[in-house]
Amino acid sequence: MNSTAPNRSEQIEIDASARWPVLVFFGYALGWLLVGGVMQLAAAMQLHQPGFLSACEWTTHGRLAPAAQNALVYGWGMNAAFAFGLWLMARLSATTLRHGGWLFVAAKFWNTGVALGVLGILGGYSTSFELLEMPRYVSLLLLTAYALIGVWAVTTFSIRNTENVYASQWYLFGAAFWFPWLYALAQVMLFKAPVRGVLQPVVNAWYAHGLYNLWFVPVALAAAYYFLPKILGKPVANYYLAPLAFWWLAITSAFAGGSRLIGAPVPVWIPTLGIVANMLVVVGVVIVALNLFGTLSGRHAAARNSLTLRFIIISITSFVLAAAMNLALSMRGFAVTAQFTMLDGLRDWLTFYACFSTAMFGAAYFLLPRLTGKEWRSPALVKAHFGATALGVLLMVAGLTYAGWSQGHMLNDAAVPFAAITKAMAPWFALRSAVLALLLVGHVAFLINFIWIACPINSQGTAAAVFRVPPDLSTEAHAPAGHSLKGVGP
Amino acid sequence: MSANEPHLRVEQSAASDDSIQQVHARLVAAKPEKAGGYSKLPLVLLGLMCSAIFFGSIYLAHYSLRFDPLVYSEHANREKPGAVKVVALTRAQMGKKVFDTTCIACHQANGLGVPGQYPPLAGSEWATGSEARAIRIVLHGLNGPLTVKGVEFNNVMAPLGAALKDEQIANVLSYVRASWGNAAPEVSPEAVAKVRAETASRATFWTAAELLKIGN
Repeated sequence: MNSTAPNRSEQIEIDASARWPVLVFFGYALGWLLVGGVMQLAAAMQLHQPGFLSACEWTTHGRLAPAAQNALVYGWGMNAAFAFGLWLMARLSATTLRHGGWLFVAAKFWNTGVALGVLGILGGYSTSFELLEMPRYVSLLLLTAYALIGVWAVTTFSIRNTENVYASQWYLFGAAFWFPWLYALAQVMLFKAPVRGVLQPVVNAWYAHGLYNLWFVPVALAAAYYFLPKILGKPVANYYLAPLAFWWLAITSAFAGGSRLIGAPVPVWIPTLGIVANMLVVVGVVIVALNLFGTLSGRHAAARNSLTLRFIIISITSFVLAAAMNLALSMRGFAVTAQFTMLDGLRDWLTFYACFSTAMFGAAYFLLPRLTGKEWRSPALVKAHFGATALGVLLMVAGLTYAGWSQGHMLNDAAVPFAAITKAMAPWFALRSAVLALLLVGHVAFLINFIWIACPINSQGTAAAVFRVPPDLSTEAHAPAGHSLKGVGP
Repeated sequence: MSANEPHLRVEQSAASDDSIQQVHARLVAAKPEKAGGYSKLPLVLLGLMCSAIFFGSIYLAHYSLRFDPLVYSEHANREKPGAVKVVALTRAQMGKKVFDTTCIACHQANGLGVPGQYPPLAGSEWATGSEARAIRIVLHGLNGPLTVKGVEFNNVMAPLGAALKDEQIANVLSYVRASWGNAAPEVSPEAVAKVRAETASRATFWTAAELLKIGN
């Protein structure tokens, strides 16, 4: 541990054991990111170019939009979370990732399921439930595949070689159980033994909110809690509060889904309970923000020099913004204007893309060179990816917040005809398409770099990466001497 | 292969996984640094937690509407179902029931009576005039010729003093004096009791001529 000679990596055996499962999951994830992104862009364009791709029924908006959403959530999001989660769990449990063969099988099953599901939606077999549009026959495939993946995350944790458990592990371990709980219950209550009448949208809202806030957000927080001390060499600020935040968020988020149903024809206590839960979530978010931004404070220069941390900063800022938006959208007075506008979509986009996906990009830039032993070949493409993401998130948040708010005011004004609202919103829908296109360019840049680093063939031109053996974390808040983040290169 | 942007090629770590876990395990067990007596942060957070729970509870109590599965609007009536509410009725409202069982057969629901046989109450100077006369008519009945609104009637009205209590008489007279366009003041049970006491010895019907001498 005290060796100063450049070693290929710390924990070389663990990274080697995780190499292929993680690369496979990431490969699938990036494939879906592209496919889903293209479909999402096309669906977004149909909102201001109604004739676009409308001739073929497979590509009408009603099929394309949910297909894109499902491809991104179950294709990109879940695969990326599996890849990152398995790797980090192995790392922090100080044990190799075993039974990689099963993980290949699981990856195959999972992605076959997603492909069948997305094709099913495009073919017209979608259900009417948000985020559960995939035809019924897919769910068993997905659950089986998930069981094969989740069990290794849990097993890896339970055979850990460490005395202590770190915050990132709580969130990964929790999420590993929350997703199957949410998905299985939603499947049973909506399809297997459907509950009646108004209970269906209640279950659907609970699932949608839970999937974002009890699966994607915890994985993003696991990344943030890991990479901040890892790269800054500084312990998490006010870490003694972190367990409270974990339990607080876990319990309150599970109740917050009802707030999506304000004004819906459901028993009024359900939205009210969701609203109260969203008020309580604030405490957890404040603690997480104190932890993460407190760690960053005074180290902004170092953070700027780290690509991973730049993505993580976007992620945790979006986490706080998304929580604020959740709270605002669940205030009845605010919802009068904001509900059923672009702000609804922006809230989920903030959670899924700006918080979760950016954290996964940051994690990928850290872990993929360690798994493959290679450097990123093109810094220009890396810069393009980060630039597109940062600009895209900024434009999307600023643009859609303004547009959604003015849309809400127009919708509430009986003197404004509906066609006029549609017309007034067209430029903003165009902006949304432009941002999605910009993000897609970033994803293509990332994919090219990924292929260079991950493909065993054509490795000329991709230099071997050199990693310093990291020092022990010091409890003092000073920057470790001789560990500027710049300097060592091939 | 420029080395001027090494962080874009490979990310170095500044702490080992093992030490991250050890240091944070110590941190989570350690109490916060007490600089200057006590730490403000836990107190501020406690305050935030308490206010979130306090405000949330009030909001929940106010907008959950008893967790009633049948209430769909937060603006719904907040009364408990089955709760009895005391509604104050006027004498005239209570008198309608007496009128409908006792008077309606002759004077009719519209208070117009039957032309040639039973005189009207609507707009009648006898009904809306002196309450002392009206009470007497109800108590002991009326016999013989009677002019109402310029029309002559000659019939008998039965005495009701034994059948109706003071309050019932007060109510029904109040009803008559406030219905069908009539707008005379209501009659109190005390006024009825007073007249009943004054006329306790009377055993026969009143005549119009006798009544005209009483009151104003």
